Amino acid sequence: MSEVVQYFLAGLGIGGIYALVAIGFHIMWSSAKAVNFAHGDTLMLGAVLTIVFLDFGLPIAIAIALAILVGMLFGVVLERVAIRPFATQARSIGWMLTTIAIGIMLESYTTISFGAFARPLPSPLVENPVIILGAGIYPQELLIPIAAIAIVAVLHVFQRRTQLGRAMRAVAYNREAAGIVGINVTGIAMISFAMASALGGLSGILVAPVIQASATMGLLLGIKGFAVAIIGGITSAPGVVIAGLLYGVIEKFVDGYISTAAREAVGFSIVILVLMIWPQGLFGRKEIVKV
Amino acid sequence: MSWVARHLNGLFVAVAAVLILAMPDIAGNEYALRFYTLMLIYMILALGLNVLVGFTGLVSLGQAGLYAIGAYTAAILATRVGIGFVPCLVLGMVFAGVFGVLLAYPTVRVRGVYLAVVTIAFGIIVENIAIEWDSLTGSWVGISNVPKPTLLGLPMNHKVYFYFVGLSALIAFAVNVNIMNSRYGRAMLGTSQSEIAASSLGISVTAMRTLAFVLSAVTAGAAGVLYVFLNKYISPDIFSFSDSIRFLLMVILGGAGTTLGPVVGAGLLSYLPELLQQFGEWQRFVYGALLAAVMFFLPRGIVGSATDLLQRFTSRPAPNRTASSGKSIGEIVGVETVGAGNCLEARNISLHFGGLAALNKVDANIGSGKIHGLIGPNGAGKSTLLNAVSGIYRVSSGRNYFFGEDITKMKSHQLARRGLARTFQNTEMFGEMTVLENVWTGFYSDYRTGLLSAILRLPAYRNEEEKFRKSALDLLEFVGLSDSAFEKAKNLPFGFQRRLEIARALATKPKLILLDEPAAGLTQSEIDDLRDLIIRLSEHGITIVVVEHHIELVMAISSHITVLDYGEVIAEGSAADVQADPKVIEAYFGSPEMLEHVAGDKNSGRSAPEGAS
Repeated sequence: MSEVVQYFLAGLGIGGIYALVAIGFHIMWSSAKAVNFAHGDTLMLGAVLTIVFLDFGLPIAIAIALAILVGMLFGVVLERVAIRPFATQARSIGWMLTTIAIGIMLESYTTISFGAFARPLPSPLVENPVIILGAGIYPQELLIPIAAIAIVAVLHVFQRRTQLGRAMRAVAYNREAAGIVGINVTGIAMISFAMASALGGLSGILVAPVIQASATMGLLLGIKGFAVAIIGGITSAPGVVIAGLLYGVIEKFVDGYISTAAREAVGFSIVILVLMIWPQGLFGRKEIVKV
Repeated sequence: MSWVARHLNGLFVAVAAVLILAMPDIAGNEYALRFYTLMLIYMILALGLNVLVGFTGLVSLGQAGLYAIGAYTAAILATRVGIGFVPCLVLGMVFAGVFGVLLAYPTVRVRGVYLAVVTIAFGIIVENIAIEWDSLTGSWVGISNVPKPTLLGLPMNHKVYFYFVGLSALIAFAVNVNIMNSRYGRAMLGTSQSEIAASSLGISVTAMRTLAFVLSAVTAGAAGVLYVFLNKYISPDIFSFSDSIRFLLMVILGGAGTTLGPVVGAGLLSYLPELLQQFGEWQRFVYGALLAAVMFFLPRGIVGSATDLLQRFTSRPAPNRTASSGKSIGEIVGVETVGAGNCLEARNISLHFGGLAALNKVDANIGSGKIHGLIGPNGAGKSTLLNAVSGIYRVSSGRNYFFGEDITKMKSHQLARRGLARTFQNTEMFGEMTVLENVWTGFYSDYRTGLLSAILRLPAYRNEEEKFRKSALDLLEFVGLSDSAFEKAKNLPFGFQRRLEIARALATKPKLILLDEPAAGLTQSEIDDLRDLIIRLSEHGITIVVVEHHIELVMAISSHITVLDYGEVIAEGSAADVQADPKVIEAYFGSPEMLEHVAGDKNSGRSAPEGAS
């Protein structure tokens, strides 16, 4: 019993990270019909920089704020140089490969400057586990899914109640029409990437106390977060959060009862199966072709 | 110059064959020869990936998975079962091919970045199964002690093995070239540029994607087997996600969609590890920078950019004017004249988008051999009706019949093969292909020779190829586009694009052509030409449906007119009947009372057709 609860809660923790990453992909996709494939490295940047800034002796709040700011800048610059020039092409191979390339460079530079080893990010929430139904779990792990749900709720209100949020939805629905009614479409894309990347940096800081920060921590988180966004239905923010949490839980159970390698094999098999049955993802909107 | 250009691939094979023969002596030592063998293996892999990425426009970020399947199949069979090299090669290719089919299956419904996720997932699954299935794959330790390859019972030394791989690479190259210059290559290219246009020509998009996946999987499998017998050892870390990226980079760097590109890209990237070694800990950084540089500065690849540059300085092949055949459409494509009766019949069809009824219980009969006009204000459902009868939309209720056959559930390409052709409101060109190739692609379903004949360039295949090329040129002459035959379709002026679409539709030997706003964007003299063209087609027994806002044109040519408004048929009959119908007048101009108020004002919300009064 306690084992089941353990896997479930830990699964929600890691699933919350996938959900947070997937929300970032959702925001980017909505504005640009393209995403930053190095978004996983934005998480890494957030986590690693926080540690670096702490090493400099900055207070934790300032270290976190600075790290998120840098992560945000990374996303904005990347959108401008690596995505926008390719976004008009019918095929997505351009921005996929440019962002992957910049991700590789960032990862490699971090390995050189920060070191090849993983380092923990201290957090008061991973000092003592709380016991729930016989399962020991760090409060940090409980915080992550709660943060994901809270953020999607805020995003929901933001997208409906504010002028900027409504403009973003308009762009997501129809770029040309949004441009015609005077919405600055490229400006919206920039703001969206800034939001998504700030969120990415924050997600990295949230997860680093649990999985430790390293130069390579972002790769798999990014790939899985994107897979989760796609199977959740990248046009739906609540959809990707649900898919993220579910994926995390399933993964933890396979990991616990079989092995880590089986975890990836089973997880990604589910991704393919879901897409075969629901090509738009579980909660995605079907687009009608017009000719 | 042009001779060299035309025989470039043949020349390359000759030079490459000589190089391969001389290479063991040039290489000097075993280590260098091993390096060149590996390079050839990468070339084979890249050539296969090019069919997928370059021809069909499908991005695979999981090619290492297929490579791994070939490799593990061979390693396991050779070490556990004791099977020899050649059967291992065959089985490795077959097994990888089966996975190619499995991988192609989701592409029936999944596109673009969704497909990228499927391929990434596939690669990661294979890698992790190789790690997890310890008893079969040896997990992280891998499989070693792979025996020496044998051929006809004789062991192959490094030199013979190099020749074997070299021959395989030449074969892979020849297959690549022959497929690209065949109806399959054109169909794949067409599919990648406009799925909807390709299927309107009778090309099954699913079949093309599956074919591309299988070809690239079989090639990747072969490369995997060849790698195992070269390296004698494999482990899961040879087949990671970043290897898939590297394989893709080979194709992009060389030039996706070109025949020489994958060879050049794989050749250059084989030197990469040695090149990067000098950068020490900055290796991966430089690799990332190289990948970015290729995407920014050489998005069409080395060979692609070089070809573009060459074409700018060389003259295009002159259109063949002497062959002014002046053939009629019947002589070119052999249209069968069909008897009277109903050609197309829509019975009580409705189509809903969510809660919106785009078509509501529409009945329409298209008489055989006639010109039929379909008019109505903007948003009346005219294009929707065309899409609903041509297999692009699935109707919510009701049935469609084509010469008495129930076609309600059929897909666009099946209808095209039965003789239902169409053009598109916002022209759907294969923009990157030449005008000639666009029309040539239209003959796809008419070929009798298959894939194997195309790959082997059998005489029967060459004859057909030449026959349909001539027919395509004749069709271009028929619509007056001979002078533009070798232009890229996307460079044509709009009016020419419309004519090209008609020529391409004619290539499918249609019994019925649906023209969706063929006069939109044309000048008055172009419209006059169009009218003559439509009448000429009709005289040859082709039934025509014209959706048009240019009412003058519709009235002048149609023997029967249907008027749609708000998804319903509001009037039917001859031009005179329809013009006199009060419902039609109301649909276009509002009620008679309204009309008195706004007399002379045409901007009453819904656009009025020119010359409708």
